Amino acid sequence: MAAIVLSKLNKHYGSLHHAVKDVDLEIADKEFVALVGPSGCGKSTTLRMIAGLEDISGGEIRIGGKVVNNLPPRDRDIAMVFQNYALYQHMSVYDNLAFGLRNKKVPESEIKAGIDRAAEILGLHELLKRKPRQLSGGQQQRVALGRCIVRNPLVFLFDEPLSNLDAKLRAQMRIEIKRLHAQVPTTSVFVTHDQVEAMTLGDRVVVMRDGRIHQVGTPLAVYGKPVNKFVAGFIGAPAMNFLEVTIRKEAGTVVAESPVLKVAVTEPSSVALEAWQGRRVIMGVRPEHLVLGEGLLSRSFAAKVEVVEQLGSEILLESRVGDARVTVARVPPETAIAAGDQVRLSAQPGRLHFFDPESENVIAA
Amino acid sequence: MFGEQQRFMLFLIAPAALLLGLFQVVPIVIGANASFRDWALYNPKKTWVGLDHYRAVITDPAFLEVVLPNTFIFMILSVAGSLALGLGLALLLNRPFRGQKIVQTVLMVPLMVAPVIAAIMMRWMFNDQFGIVNAVLEGLGMEGQPWLVQRWTAFGIIVLTDVWLWTPWFTLLLLAGLQSLPKEPFEAAAIDGTTTWRVFSHLTLPMLQPVIVVCVVIRAIDAFRTFDIVWTLTGGGPGRSTELFSIYAYVLAFLNLDLGRGSASAIVGGLIILVVGVVMYRLVDRVTKS
Repeated sequence: MAAIVLSKLNKHYGSLHHAVKDVDLEIADKEFVALVGPSGCGKSTTLRMIAGLEDISGGEIRIGGKVVNNLPPRDRDIAMVFQNYALYQHMSVYDNLAFGLRNKKVPESEIKAGIDRAAEILGLHELLKRKPRQLSGGQQQRVALGRCIVRNPLVFLFDEPLSNLDAKLRAQMRIEIKRLHAQVPTTSVFVTHDQVEAMTLGDRVVVMRDGRIHQVGTPLAVYGKPVNKFVAGFIGAPAMNFLEVTIRKEAGTVVAESPVLKVAVTEPSSVALEAWQGRRVIMGVRPEHLVLGEGLLSRSFAAKVEVVEQLGSEILLESRVGDARVTVARVPPETAIAAGDQVRLSAQPGRLHFFDPESENVIAA
Repeated sequence: MFGEQQRFMLFLIAPAALLLGLFQVVPIVIGANASFRDWALYNPKKTWVGLDHYRAVITDPAFLEVVLPNTFIFMILSVAGSLALGLGLALLLNRPFRGQKIVQTVLMVPLMVAPVIAAIMMRWMFNDQFGIVNAVLEGLGMEGQPWLVQRWTAFGIIVLTDVWLWTPWFTLLLLAGLQSLPKEPFEAAAIDGTTTWRVFSHLTLPMLQPVIVVCVVIRAIDAFRTFDIVWTLTGGGPGRSTELFSIYAYVLAFLNLDLGRGSASAIVGGLIILVVGVVMYRLVDRVTKS
């Protein structure tokens, strides 16, 4: 059993830099949690505190019920995968895998069995005699994963392990890590700045910014019900569109309007927005929830196409609605459309998000 | 004959080539010429004697049994000593502590001391009548030693002086090497539960090996030509027991004024260090490529 509990976790670097602020997080045994956020949001620092590579300035970390604040890394029974693999370059792959076990004076026969198993899972058999520098980035990262598996630790920690790989390999390794977690279910914390990795790998996603946790939830929850404008904009690609609108009530219907558009709001957003009549709010709508064409007249607005990106499977449109840029995704690839065209866009019902312009917290979802 | 670019390159190289020719190639040629002749300052007939001087040098018992062993023992002890101490200090300085910068600066002081001055300091410290070492020993109730008039104590002091002079150089280069090592493998090792000794022997040393080898080669070749501290401390004595190769050649050429024999011995030494150097460079190549 290796649940991880972070309570009121803080990290200061000197007196000026407060890198991690009051982080509370419970990670269940065998759960895969992805920490995601922009550079400098404190996600790596949090991970390194769990690993014991950084001191804890305040708060508590428990692994498997045991407070580990003052335990050195080696006594925490964890394994970590680093962004640049951190392999021992002068040792063969086999010796790299064996190193941690030899530290513990495990008999060579057991080490061999463990390495065989890891090599089996990760397809490393032909590489065992080579040196790391003779391997590709993807192979090196597989060795790094293998080094973690053979140790059979309570917790796997991943510090942006896919960042140094090219896009194709990254997608492949993502699947391998997912498969690995299914084969060797172990509590895992995965740090990344790539929201696609976070969404695809995490049982739950933790979105961080400026040292704070903004939202914790399943991938579907953080995508579908972002708690604030930051999470809404960070999760999802292409990013959510934001438009400034004023809330009004016309003939019993709540509408969001601006000089260039007017959209009727359906429930449940409309209920929460009752209180915001006559006030300005920020409306968010994801590119994939905009549809080209009239749709319901009461929900559509005019836009001018600026850039057309043909992806083969779909078209991405960059358009202008008044002063705001609006991206539209999932336009059928055969659609005849060109830069400069005037089009009408409409939002799918129930897919609008509204944020308080002051606090940027969600008003209704 | 040459393009504009080549002419410009020649123009840039010319001054250095000229200096090199004037002060290195020409003297070597003159020296080589002298080594085949009877060329004594008091009797400069310059008679051609072929390989006589070479034969005399390589059959000279003093050269074979004292000078050569001395030179190699000195080279090995001095390089090994300052490497071990320098590595130790570099490891200590590699972890931050209060006052680290000050300690680091103070440790560099010997680098700024001229070898002759260091040797004079040592000579006085180990002086048998007035030296502080004997004063301390006698204060502790032990017997003072005539340090510089016994072969192996004198030799030890020469090595000690050289180690003292060169330890900071090793420290500086090895510290730079340590600081350029990636930190992730060490973090991975910490997580893997590696003991400090195993981190040192299995990670730090192998990762630092290229730097160590280059330092050792440079210093070893340099140590082969050491002259000043030996000359100042013992002048090669007592007797000729602490003579190194450079002293041997110097005495022949400039004290005995036998330029022919002196040149021959210098060229023999040059050939020896050439072979040692080539072997060592091969070693560097092997290490840095593996």
